[in-house]
Amino acid sequence: MNRLKTIFEICRDELKMIFADHGALVFFLVVPLLYPLLYGYLYSQEVVREVPVVAVDESHSTLSRQFLRMSDASAELKIVSYCADMEEAKAMLRSHKAFGIIHIPSEFSQDLAEGRQATVNLFNNMTGMLYYKSLLSACTDVSLEMNKDIKAVRLAGKTEREIQVSQQPVEYEYIPMFNPQNGFCSFLIPAVLVLILQQTLVLGIALLAGTERERREKGLVVLDKREYGNPFHVLTGKGIAYFLIYAVVALYTLCAVPAFFDLPQLWKTSDLLLFTIPYILSCIFFAITISFFVRDRESCFLLFVFMSVPMLFVSGISWPGSSIPAFWKYIGYLAPSTFGINGFVKMTNCGALLNDVRTEYVGMWIQTAVYYFLALLIYIKLYRPSLAREN
Amino acid sequence: MMESKHGIMAIAGRELRRMLSRPLYVMSMILAPLVCVVFFTTLMKDGLPQNLPIGVVDSDNTSTTRSILRNLDAFQQTEIVFEYSSFADARSAMQRGDIYGFFYIPDGTTAKAMRSEQPRISFYSNASYLVASSLAYKDMRMMAELASGAVGRTSLLARGATMDQAMAFLQPIKVDMRPLGNPWLNYSVYLSNTLLPAVLMLMAFLVTIFSIYTELKDETGKEWLEMASGNMYKAVAGKLLPQTLLFFLMIVFCQIWLYGFMGFPHNSGMPVMLVAGFMLVLASQAFAVFLCELIPSLRWCLSLATLWGVLSFPISGFSFPVTAMPASIRALSCLFPLRYYFLIYSDQALNGFPLSGTVPYYLALLAFMFLPFLFMGRLRYAMENYVYEP
Repeated sequence: MNRLKTIFEICRDELKMIFADHGALVFFLVVPLLYPLLYGYLYSQEVVREVPVVAVDESHSTLSRQFLRMSDASAELKIVSYCADMEEAKAMLRSHKAFGIIHIPSEFSQDLAEGRQATVNLFNNMTGMLYYKSLLSACTDVSLEMNKDIKAVRLAGKTEREIQVSQQPVEYEYIPMFNPQNGFCSFLIPAVLVLILQQTLVLGIALLAGTERERREKGLVVLDKREYGNPFHVLTGKGIAYFLIYAVVALYTLCAVPAFFDLPQLWKTSDLLLFTIPYILSCIFFAITISFFVRDRESCFLLFVFMSVPMLFVSGISWPGSSIPAFWKYIGYLAPSTFGINGFVKMTNCGALLNDVRTEYVGMWIQTAVYYFLALLIYIKLYRPSLAREN
Repeated sequence: MMESKHGIMAIAGRELRRMLSRPLYVMSMILAPLVCVVFFTTLMKDGLPQNLPIGVVDSDNTSTTRSILRNLDAFQQTEIVFEYSSFADARSAMQRGDIYGFFYIPDGTTAKAMRSEQPRISFYSNASYLVASSLAYKDMRMMAELASGAVGRTSLLARGATMDQAMAFLQPIKVDMRPLGNPWLNYSVYLSNTLLPAVLMLMAFLVTIFSIYTELKDETGKEWLEMASGNMYKAVAGKLLPQTLLFFLMIVFCQIWLYGFMGFPHNSGMPVMLVAGFMLVLASQAFAVFLCELIPSLRWCLSLATLWGVLSFPISGFSFPVTAMPASIRALSCLFPLRYYFLIYSDQALNGFPLSGTVPYYLALLAFMFLPFLFMGRLRYAMENYVYEP
């Protein structure tokens, strides 16, 4: 019973300390509260629409005008200007008035009339991959649509046999799954949400650890309680304190934020809960372990903030996991976010069950165990009976 | 004797000693950016992901479908690694992340094709992984096109048509895409070129603030100001000088790595980008000093700089275009130095546009450098009167 009481007191002390420390509160509460909203808002349009492009119609035919009209009518593109020649069109790109050019060569309608394949040229200045995708997919769709009509016209009056041959013998359709509108928000935000939990825990815990270390080095006694004599008690007590805060924060970040932005939420409640527990635990002990390298209160900013970007990439959400070199893949397994992001994305976007993400689930428990052990070693160094006063 | 302890160079010397005395500076100014340079350029060394795993479900399983499938594996970006016995199996494999997409050939496809009933094959991709999904889509669409055209083309060719005539008949209008600037569609070109300077910018924000306000924390602010004979401008200039030079060195390294070693496009030559890089460093430092003037607290200042720095990544628009962001964010993007660096990069290195159109972006970076002049008095007041608060 005494043990439990000690752990409870350490936990209570830690919570008191956190709620009295504005710096820690910013990381533990303000950042997880506001950043997701900000990020969600940035990407709230999900897809790129009405990309400004210019058209150069050297064919001046009914079909070329039809092509341009249909492209303009697509959701992806907007023809902002019709240019006399390519030079004028390129000048529009240079002056940032457009991001792409649809060029229909003079022989376009002649080619079609004489049964040759006609080409539409697209130029894109590659400032953004999404501009490129919009231009290509809109114009490809228009060409497929027009090809159907052209073939139908050509076949009028042909023999049954010819119609049979030239009809598309096999139809095909494409279905994007698990993010049906190919949205950027639904793609990136779930990963960012999971990462925010880890990074704020790292920053907050490192800030607290740095503060304690600073005070200790200045000779200010922080451990004036007998309870701090047992590293196991300290680690468990503090761990529970962080867990209590992050149980609430995670609920908000992983459930409320996606609901707010209408992102996919296909998880089963019990699975998500079971998944989140080892994620928070592994993050907590990971954070305690790396906070060992922090010497003062503010160095966590310089050491850990930049890591968010590589950690996001190594998770394999933006850059496909199958193309990550083995070396970085193994490095990635050191961070709880790698498993956390993959598992959460699979559950929330793809409707995976806990059984489908057991690799990640087991991975996080292993991390929890390993980092708990490392954290304990660190606390054995930091909290010894000899350091606690009344012992 | 007293002279040597005063002036910008003396302060710079003092700062250099401070920097060397703490591994933190080496970590954040040299090691962190270096790790990022190596990380991003080796992570995306292929430029475009190769051999993304996809699957097939061949419920028809005839000699025709099997021969179609054999022909599908010749694509570079994707690789058919699994064959599933049912749609449900393939779907759950995709759910688990084993594959990024799959083909579904329903039962009776061949028979329908024989009877000219236009059977339908479908392909699916996991759009949760946007990049992988769109690449898999591109290949699978091409495969579907080939599979579907194969029958028609074969009989047209058999009847004496040339390949050109057959293609003209099956696909009267063809779309030909010419991606200027990045013809290989290299993702590393598209991301590393902005990500790496962004890391330097973030570090410049944080290190500047950290080094200024640790003077309060270490209670050396008055000594620092003394060395500048009470001139805050001199004090700041001396302090930032060694950091500026180090960051210059890092940006030079970074650009040589990208444009020289990796051979990424730099269509207007390296000097314009080096100037942009130097200006990004100076603008970031100036912005950080400005924050110090506004908020006389180490922690709050660092918190705000972190927010600004981290927000710079999306808001510079290199991944998701700013034009597709809400109007308020579009307006806000003007206040981020990285935004201008990205615009300069895109105009100059990527597209090789004439310098004249890009000058406004250089001027914008220049404008950031004037920010510290607004409230320098406040920083001086802080150094003289405030004490560090945790």
